[in-house]
Formats: sequence, structure tokens, C-alpha cells
Amino acid sequence: MSDSTHVTRNTQPAPRGPDEGRVSRLMMLLLLVAILAGVGLLVLYALGGQVQLEGILLFILLTGIGFAFILWGKYLFPTEIVTEDRGERPSPKAERAAAEQAYVEGESQITRRSALVRMLLGAFGALGLAAIFPIRSLGPSPGRSLFQTAWRTGIRAVDEAGNPVLASDLVVGSVLTVFPQGHVGSTDSVAILVRVDPSELQLPDGRNDDAPFGNVCYSKLCTHAGCPVGLYLAEFHQLQCPCHFSAFAVLKGAEPVFGPASRPLPQLPLGVDQEGYLVAKSDFTAPVGPGFWNRGSGA
Amino acid sequence: MIVPRLLDWFDERLGAASFAKKSLRKVFPDHWSFMLGEVAMYCFIILVVTGTFLSFFYIPDVRDVVYHGPYKPLDGQSMSAAYASVLRISFEVRAGLVFRQIHHWAALVMTGAVVFHAIRVFFTGAFRKPREINWVLGVVLLLLTIGIGFAGYSLPDDLLSGTGLRIGYSIALSTPIVGTWLAFLVFGGEYPAPDILNRLFVLHVMILPALIAIVMGAHLAILWRQKHTNFPAKDLTNDQIRGPRLWPRYAFASVGLFFVLAGVLALLGGTAQINPIWIYGPYHPITASGASQPDWYMGFTEGAVRLFPGWEIRAFGHEIPEPFFPGALLPGVIFGGMLLWPWIERFFTKDKLQHNLLQHPRDVPWRTAVGAATITFLGVLTIAGASDVLASSVDISVEAMTEILRWVALVLPVVAFFVTYLLCRELRSNDLHPVKESKITTVRRSKTGGFDTTEEEGGGFESVEERLGL
Amino acid sequence: MSAERARRASSVSAGRRAAGFALLFAAFMVPAGLAILAGTGSATAGAPPVTRLDAQTALEAAGQVLYEEHCASCHGATGQGTAQGPVILDLGPAAYDFMMSTGRMPLAQPGAQAVRKPPTLTPAEIQAITAYLVSLSPGSGTAIPDVQPLKGNLSQGEQIYQLNCAPCHGANGNGGAVGVEAAPSLHKATPTQIGEAVRIGPGTMPVFDQTVISDEQLNSLARYVLYLRHPANPGGISLHLGGPVVEGFVGLVIGLGAVVLVMRFIGERS
Repeated sequence: MSDSTHVTRNTQPAPRGPDEGRVSRLMMLLLLVAILAGVGLLVLYALGGQVQLEGILLFILLTGIGFAFILWGKYLFPTEIVTEDRGERPSPKAERAAAEQAYVEGESQITRRSALVRMLLGAFGALGLAAIFPIRSLGPSPGRSLFQTAWRTGIRAVDEAGNPVLASDLVVGSVLTVFPQGHVGSTDSVAILVRVDPSELQLPDGRNDDAPFGNVCYSKLCTHAGCPVGLYLAEFHQLQCPCHFSAFAVLKGAEPVFGPASRPLPQLPLGVDQEGYLVAKSDFTAPVGPGFWNRGSGA
Repeated sequence: MIVPRLLDWFDERLGAASFAKKSLRKVFPDHWSFMLGEVAMYCFIILVVTGTFLSFFYIPDVRDVVYHGPYKPLDGQSMSAAYASVLRISFEVRAGLVFRQIHHWAALVMTGAVVFHAIRVFFTGAFRKPREINWVLGVVLLLLTIGIGFAGYSLPDDLLSGTGLRIGYSIALSTPIVGTWLAFLVFGGEYPAPDILNRLFVLHVMILPALIAIVMGAHLAILWRQKHTNFPAKDLTNDQIRGPRLWPRYAFASVGLFFVLAGVLALLGGTAQINPIWIYGPYHPITASGASQPDWYMGFTEGAVRLFPGWEIRAFGHEIPEPFFPGALLPGVIFGGMLLWPWIERFFTKDKLQHNLLQHPRDVPWRTAVGAATITFLGVLTIAGASDVLASSVDISVEAMTEILRWVALVLPVVAFFVTYLLCRELRSNDLHPVKESKITTVRRSKTGGFDTTEEEGGGFESVEERLGL
Repeated sequence: MSAERARRASSVSAGRRAAGFALLFAAFMVPAGLAILAGTGSATAGAPPVTRLDAQTALEAAGQVLYEEHCASCHGATGQGTAQGPVILDLGPAAYDFMMSTGRMPLAQPGAQAVRKPPTLTPAEIQAITAYLVSLSPGSGTAIPDVQPLKGNLSQGEQIYQLNCAPCHGANGNGGAVGVEAAPSLHKATPTQIGEAVRIGPGTMPVFDQTVISDEQLNSLARYVLYLRHPANPGGISLHLGGPVVEGFVGLVIGLGAVVLVMRFIGERS
């Protein structure tokens, strides 16, 4: 970087007399208050601390110091505005040529031996591939795990406390979060049970049998981005997702009627066992949750 | 006496005297808008200091513990050790909550400073040659800052941030071809993959801060070497720099700014509650709260995901699900465009000169209009991220608000473009513009009472303010 | 939900009812008559209006007068519904008490959305109208729950709230948009009103009966909802627990804004 060759200065002297006195007195006051605040903080910590006072005392301490610096810089130094040459430009041609030459001197010995260079590049390539492989250890293969949950034929639906659910438990207009028995809290298996008037059900493909006495069950995971679809608008028979407000029509197989979801919530076909409890007839009718590349032909 | 002796001590070992001289006498243009970058850097320092304290108490573990701390509404509940550790910081560690809140407020302010700094650089054309490298490094810093913020607020494993993390998983999953593998490897398995919390912790306290420090260091070194730009001024050429020297004026002002920033953040951290995780409750993937929004700088992705309709591409047993388009493709296009902007602009302007003088936004109407349109678009998306809050505050349905915002997001940026363009042209034609050749006519009264006039070309590259004597 | 139940409920045939009344009248014991009437099932929407032949209590009589003045124009002379208002027979006292004590009913104008507002009816009037409506279909619908928040467990209440209530009413209880409706804020609800809403599912809210939330759990839930009125805010000003939206605004406008003002003080401004 070349030294400044062309410098002009526009200097104003530092203020003197009453102005200077006023500023420096203000700064003294600020710093005194800051010191007191600092001491106050120590006492406060010793006494156990209190969130609001900690913040306020820190504020006084820090801004006291800060404004002291600012006022000093702004008012107590001579104001000097300098105009000078920037200096940096592309380097002179000779310099660039010399740099190129310095590189070229070594280069010919390298580029001559093309076979060696190629082998070296090959070795680096192998090293690169080998270095990537620990990434494979970061997680399991997706496999079939996105296509199945813990629901199986005959497994009872239970609530959060693990109690099985009778077909008559819910009243019409009621909702309940259910899990497969033995897997309470399982995220991919979580389902939402809604009781509706069976005469109003319009499930596709004859799936009306899978909702005994109006107990219809869907995956609780939104098919958009996987948030739990926990809002039930009973009057409109819609399940809504609180994340991006996709809405699903419960009476029509949870098909999406609004929002960014484009696939219905997979249904959990239900039956009733001998004691009257709700059981799954099979796993969900489609992979649960948000979409992915090889999800298949879609629900 | 001390300082000269220190200087000697270092010079004997490092030959530092010449560097010290140049540095202390370095000229720093001190327009107030040039300090936004500094504010971002100082926020980073405060975040590292407060974050280090927090990291001594935080436990990045999703395994369940039973809580028996002082916050009674959660007593006896099962929750992750991570969540419990943040409750402990908030309710039991002395100065824990104030440090935690300062940390979170600083993150919001830092991202804001980075964004406004980028906006300032864009509209004044400071990214032009020779500063393209620093522009690219700056966009990288913006991405790193947003990323470290997202990782950070997901660490407490509360219901609000956990819901956001779930959406992140789904966006990764939606990537064509490699989506399932990407999600399974990054998160460690099928959702809710427990490894992710520890990985976010490592990213948040080690990898990302290191990257930010390195890239920021390079950004500063280049700035130091190239020197800062100047606004156009009277008698200031492209090869000159004007401003106070670093020592003592600028250094004092800058240090003062750091302490005042720290003070403001401390005041917010102590008196304004932020992220009350105890109200949200511990994260359970099977429930979510209404009115869930991410921190402000993620708002544009949230808004995009809410507004984008349920369009998916499906063929031959494969699909590209909807979240990919607003969640990955759109940010990719926007940040890609930002990264490449110096070259995009050069494609149109064919400008290969070095520029050390800034432009007033009105002097580059088309670029200013593009910037205004982009900011408008991202702004509408950010607001759309809170579409339900907005809907309930004006008492209309979420569906109606979504429809309205969809149209606003498409139409308003176009309107902003044209309005800004025309405004720039209008403002320019009203200025005493140096490019327009003006003749200065001087009228003098002679001693004998007559008048004589002299004319000269309007000279110099002079700002409007200079000409008007402001 | 109540409309469905009303439509579905099996009706006692008109003929049987007439014979029953004749028997009662012949038996000439008013208390006995009331007791038997209480056990003979519910009136239905489609049936012709019932003429009460036995004596009402004073409360029910007062309620009838008030009902005809404030409610009948929309809900029909005997709660059977009109074009402007749904059927309200068979809902039970919880529904009537909830709607009136929260001020949702009477509506300011027909067709407006029912939202909480200062009740126009006094508690005594509400009690009277409730008694009258119950007498029209005694024994049916949901009883007013006896909610005892102090017997509940705060932590259990938080868990129930997080799973069942937070999705619509928000983790902070401030309410929020739910599709075309708005889930209201819970900060003014009394324990009884909380219980009533949970048990009847007003508006588009689902019903949570005893199998989903037991009476003991309801006490805990009410205790937590009451806690949300004045939650612990150790961090300072709670910003109405508005979440990241408010926090972002404050951080940028107040936090960064203050710093920008300082920057303008330090630096050159032209």
C-alpha cells in the first residue's frame, strides 16, 4: 500500500472553555453514575439477583461508559477531516509479470509430468470419496420406515393415558388424540379420532365401514409439513393445521379444502372388537406426514 | 510512557511499527449508515460472550427427565433434558435469565443490522468493482447469521421452536431425489430424530460461530485493505478517501457505539421478556399451538409456505411435494440472485471501472427499483408469516387473509418497482445534477456602477447537499 | 351438534304424550305430575308446541316472560328455532348459562357472530331463563358442571391445555384465528364458563365430555386457564405474550432503532 502522497486536512480545533467544561462535566457525571451502577450490580448479585434490576443497572453501566467514549470522540478531540490518496490500484505491470514468473518457474516441472499429475488427482479423488463416507454414518437408511407406522391389524386405539377407547366413548362433535396400544407418544402413529353423525359420512371407495358408529380416524400429521392437525372446527367438520392453515374435510376422507396441503390425511380404518373397543383394521391407507420423492402414486 | 514502550516491545519482535503507524492514521469515512456493519459485528461479540455463559448450563440432550424445579405449572412433567436445562437457566441460575434474554434480543438485532447493512450497500452501489468479493462474503454472512439464529432458537426444545424444526425436516424431505436421505442423515433418522438437537448445538456453538468469525475476519481484512467507500462530495475524486482518522476520533466513537449497543441490549434483556418457553411448554410432536411464528428473520419462508398453493408435481410414482418450492427453491433463487448481483448488474451496465465513490439511490433508478421490489416482496412474505395473527386482528377469516396476501405478494412488488423508478427519475430531474451541464453565471457590479457577467462550466462532482450548503 | 342430537333423538309419539297428560291431569297431584313429566323423555323440534298444563315455578314463569322478550324472536316461542336462530331445546342448562353469562346471547343483531361481551341480562334473569328452558325439556342436555379449580393440579392442567386447547386458543390463551372463526381469548372466563364451554362445545368448538376430560381433569384445566390470566413473567414486560411477531417488532424498531439514533449522533449525517 503506497503511503499517502496527497493529503489535505480540514481541521477544527477542539472546543475550549465553557463548551469543553460542559461536555467533560457531563461525562464525569455519566461515568460516576456508571460506577455506582456497577457497584449496585455487585450488591444485587450478592443478594440473589433480580432480572429487571440486572438489566437496568447493566444498561446504566454500559451506556454510561459508551456515551463517555462517544462524547469524548465527538467533542473533546480536534475535528480533523483528512482527504488523502487511496493508493491501492492494480499493481504495476512489472510486479504482476514477476508474480506470474514466480509461479511459472515451478509450474513447468509439474505440468510436464502429466501422468503423475493424473494419478495424484486420482488419489485425491479417492481421498475425497473416503472422506465423504463418514457422512453415511450420520443416520439410518430411510428404507421402509416412512411407509409404515406402529399400527397393525387388531391393535386397540388408546388415549394419551393408555386407556382403550370404546366406540361409544366420544359424543358427536368430540375429538381425541389416539395411539396404538403400547406405543403412546409415537409420532408417526399419532392419530386423531373424530365422532361424527354416521349418516353424514361421505368417505371415498366404500370406506364408510372403516368408521364404526361415526368414529372416523385420521393421521394427525399434516400432509403438508408434518405439524399435528389439532384444530377441529366441529360446526364445519374440518380439521385444521395451526402451522400453515391447511383445512381437511372430515366427512369426505379428510381431503384438503384449503391451504398448501394437497393430499388428504391418510385414514386409519377402524373396527370394533368383541368388548366394544376401537381397533385398527390395518395400518393407515397411505404413508403419513409430508410428501417425499418416492412416496408412490399418492393417496 | 507505557504505550511507546509497548510499541517498542512489539516492534522488536514483529517489526510492527510501520503497520501501527498506518493503522492508527487510517482514514475512516464516518457517515452514520456506514456503522451498520459494525453494529452487526458488535452484536456478534455480545452473542459470543452471553452465549458462552449459557453454554455452561445448557444440556443438548433429548432424553426425558422429570421436572421438579421452581416453575410449578410444569412440576412433575416429563420433558427433554435440554428443555429442563433452559428452565433451570431461566429460573434458577443467577443472572441466567438476563443473559438468556440479552442473547436472544442480540440475535434479533444482529440479523436486522446485517439486513439493513446489506440494503445500504446495495442501494449505494458499494458492491461494484473492486468490492464484489466482499459483497459475496457479506451474503454468506447473512446466510450464516440466519442459520445460526435458527439453530439457536431451536435449542430449548420448546413447543414453538420444535414445531419450526419439524417444518424444516419436511422441507428437507421434500427435496427431489435425495430428500429422504438428506433428512435422515442430517437429522439422524425418522422424525422426531433425537440426534438433531445435539447437532444443532454443535452447529450453533462451534461450527457456525467459527465460520462467521473467519468470514467476518476476511470481510474486515478486505475492507481494511480496500478502504471504505465515500459518498460523493466536493473536490473528492474516485482515487481519494475522506474522513477522520482512526485514532483517536473514530476509535473512541466506535468503542462508544459498542458499549451503548451493549447497554441497549442489556436494558431489553432485563426488562422486556422474550421467548417465554415455560408458557409454550416442552416440545411434543403430537401437538402444536395456534399463532405459531418463527423469529422475524425466518418469517419470509413461513409466509412463502403459507401462501404457496398446494401444487405438487407427481409423475411415475415420484413427486416433488409442495414445501420444496416455497421452502427451498424460492430462498435459493433469492439468495442466489443476491450472491450474483454484481455480475447481473454488470451484464446490463457493462461497467468495468473501479468505483470508490457511492451512488445516491436516485441516480440508479432501475437498480433502486429492483431493490425496492425485492424488499417489498420479502416484506409481504414476512408479514404473511403471521397471516393468522393479522386475520384475527382485522376480524376476517384466515382463508380470506391468505387470498388477499397472495395477490398483494404478486402485485405490490410490481407497483413498488414502477413507483420507485418514477420517483427516482422525478427526484433526479429536480436536483441540480452534476451530470447535467450547468453554466454558472457570476454577476459583478463594477465600481462605476455597471454590471459585468462571467460564465463558466458547472464544475466538480458535487453533492446536492454541498451545493445547497447543507 | 345440538341440532343433530335434536333431529336424531327418538320422539315419544304425540299420542302417548296426550294420554300421559290426561292421566296426570286426572291424578291432580302437581308435584307428582311434574316428577312423571320429568321422566317421559324430550320434546323434539318437529313436534307441535307443547302446552304446559301443569303449574310452573315462579322462577320458570319469570323466565318465560324474559325468554319471550329477549329470545323468542330468533329461537322460537318454545326454543324450536326459526329462520334467524337455531333450535335450543335439549341443550341443557350448561349451554343456556354459558351463552347468556358470557354475554354472547342475546346477540346485538341477528346474524352477528356470537362473541363475549358484557351481558345484558342480570344473573337472576339468566337463572330464570335457564330454568324455563330446562323445564321445556327437563333432564336432557348438559348439566352445569361444578368446577373447582383449587382442587385441580396446575401441572396436569398445563398438559391437558397444551394437547387440547393450545392449538386453537394459543399457548398464551389469547385466542386466535381458526379458519373462518376466531377462538376467543380465555382471560375473562370464569371457572364455570370454562367448564361449560368444554362440555358443550359452543360455536365451532368441539365437545370434550367426561371420557376425554374427566371432571377431576376439568378442575385442573380450569386452574391452568385461570393461571394464564396472570402468568409468571420473570423476564419483564410480557408484551402480551405476543410471541416472535411482537418480539421482532420490538427488537428492530426499538432495539435497532435506538442504536440507529446513536449512530446518527456519532456520524456524519449528510
